[in-house]
Amino acid sequence: MSNQNGRVYGLTLLCPILNDVHASPSHDLQIRAYLAALPTGAESPFAIASGTHLARLVVMDDVIYVGAPAHEEHLHSKYLIFEANIDAIGDAGLDSYLTGLANLASQHLDAIWKHCTGYPGTSNLPDFLSYMKACRIETTFFFAATNDKSVPETLTALQTQRAMADFIVKHQGMAAAELQRRFIDFASKLSTAPVPPPAMATHRRDIQTGGRNE
Amino acid sequence: MSKLNATDIQGFVLRGYNMPYARYGFLHFENSARARDLIRRLLGIVTTGRSWDQGKPQSTVNVAFTYRGLVKLELPIATLISFPVEFQQGMKARGGILGDTGLNSHEHWDELWRNETQVHAWLAINALTTDALEARTGQLQELMQETGGARVLSYQDAAAIVEDGKVTLKEHFGFTDGFGNPDYLGVCRSTQPGQGKLMPDGSWAPLATGELLLGYADEAGELPVAPVPHILASNGTFMVYRKLHQNVGTFRRFLDTWAARYGAGDNFAREKLASKFIGRWRDGTPVESSPDKPDPAIAQDPNLSTNFTYGEDTAGTRCPIGAHIRRVHPRDAFGFKGRLINRRRITRRGLPYGPFASESDASPDLDTVERGVIFMALNASISRQFEFVQQQWVNYGNDAHLGNEKDLLMGNHAAGEKYVIQGDTNPANPPFVCAHLPNFVELRGGEYFFLPSITALGMMAMNLVDPR
Repeated sequence: MSNQNGRVYGLTLLCPILNDVHASPSHDLQIRAYLAALPTGAESPFAIASGTHLARLVVMDDVIYVGAPAHEEHLHSKYLIFEANIDAIGDAGLDSYLTGLANLASQHLDAIWKHCTGYPGTSNLPDFLSYMKACRIETTFFFAATNDKSVPETLTALQTQRAMADFIVKHQGMAAAELQRRFIDFASKLSTAPVPPPAMATHRRDIQTGGRNE
Repeated sequence: MSKLNATDIQGFVLRGYNMPYARYGFLHFENSARARDLIRRLLGIVTTGRSWDQGKPQSTVNVAFTYRGLVKLELPIATLISFPVEFQQGMKARGGILGDTGLNSHEHWDELWRNETQVHAWLAINALTTDALEARTGQLQELMQETGGARVLSYQDAAAIVEDGKVTLKEHFGFTDGFGNPDYLGVCRSTQPGQGKLMPDGSWAPLATGELLLGYADEAGELPVAPVPHILASNGTFMVYRKLHQNVGTFRRFLDTWAARYGAGDNFAREKLASKFIGRWRDGTPVESSPDKPDPAIAQDPNLSTNFTYGEDTAGTRCPIGAHIRRVHPRDAFGFKGRLINRRRITRRGLPYGPFASESDASPDLDTVERGVIFMALNASISRQFEFVQQQWVNYGNDAHLGNEKDLLMGNHAAGEKYVIQGDTNPANPPFVCAHLPNFVELRGGEYFFLPSITALGMMAMNLVDPR
């Protein structure tokens, strides 16, 4: 199970994109256009369906020839690459994750994957699951965006960290007995606080990716 | 490698002049032919990196150009488009990457920089005395008049802070500044441990020349991205100019407010807290080397003042993980024996501007008085070096494992930001969190410049730049 790291599953799909010379704009461009407008916040399909730590969607046109002594090679097709770190154990876990996506974000999934060869659509769930798993590759080593904690555990930990920092700011230097009383109160409130929703991290960062930054 | 040809490199690149007065003139070229004539007349005046065997001159002159200045000088289009894209765009256009938004956005800049398209060149004078500064200004004014090549849009004066009649290395928040400049291969300079790159055996070695100068191999063994022809770029570099206003009143009030709750809450606690912000005590003593008190024996010893690492202090109990100097020059703080930072180093130049307000100065307008620091950074690649430091290490904290936290001192803060001081069980060194960070520093403008070699200046003056 080289796609498994503890309770986290590293899902990598390579889905060939339809090569239709009559399609205009081409199917890969239509995917690019759709992905460019895909919501990344609470409306993201990966926030709506549960269990995603991180997900990336990439359109790969070809491999690039970098010169001698490399052997010049090309892909047979353009590919849609989907990579994700998800809460899942084994194939059963993967099935239930993909089922969640198919049930809750079918509109986005179909809009993206309909440009891929052989995609059956989310309406036929067994075919959908078989298709996705047929496109899956064994990574042997994948980018792990998280430690061995589930998405709700991670969200709760972040909530605790922020609340704890605020508590410290407010109470640092307070007499021990009073501090303890307030901490017990704080800890009990925190322990019953609901798990925050995904993709609702902290405030927006005013950071833009630089074209030439490495 | 052999020694660099110092007579072909502008002196400003190779050494900090360490002169107490400076005047930066920002020029607008009226006409390309006359501007070239002006550059030709400047050729014999520009201070090179030649060693000062006969002692320091009374004053120095250096010159650099904006992209628009090079366009105005009618460099060939094939040369112009070969400059790195960030230089072509200019600093204002890079505001999103640099975090120059909100209080730091260009609507708040000085008038000169709101009309930055007018600025074609930077003409800098450094001087030992005000007389020498005025004399040199007069000479340059005359040259501009005689040639009709340029007019001065504005002058920016800067000067070392004088305290008790003594010239200091302090900036307006009261910290001794100017420790961290790197050493480079081939640049003759009295080197000191801690200023180059960290070697696997723990010693320090100079950085590759190509991290500072175009035309030489950099730390990756590559030539930096540079314009064509090679001879135009070689021995030149890029300069970032930023006028950074300092809110001295805000800084002191913030320190007072939080120091009252830190440690014993006394004056020493205030100084200790201040040192935890920066990573140096006010006299320059590195907190990492001396966490409990300033130590002049360390601060004033070139073998000690920059000779430290953070490897033994990964928890930040001596020098906080987010302290200013630990963020902008992390040494070995990110692991891998410091190798992750060798392509992110910059060389700093500049001086404070505006009147110094002593600690006893209680005037209500400490923030509004024009004072701050003229920050200039020299680097072979503005995007790889300066912009990376500003974007990733000043306005973001991920590399330092600090999430979204920004640099306390320089960061463009949003509501709710905190600064965490890691501590230990010693009651004099408690863990502490400061919240509600205001902007201590505000950007008043600036631009990206190309600082050419003497040869390149000659080529520009004689209209000989040929990219073929």
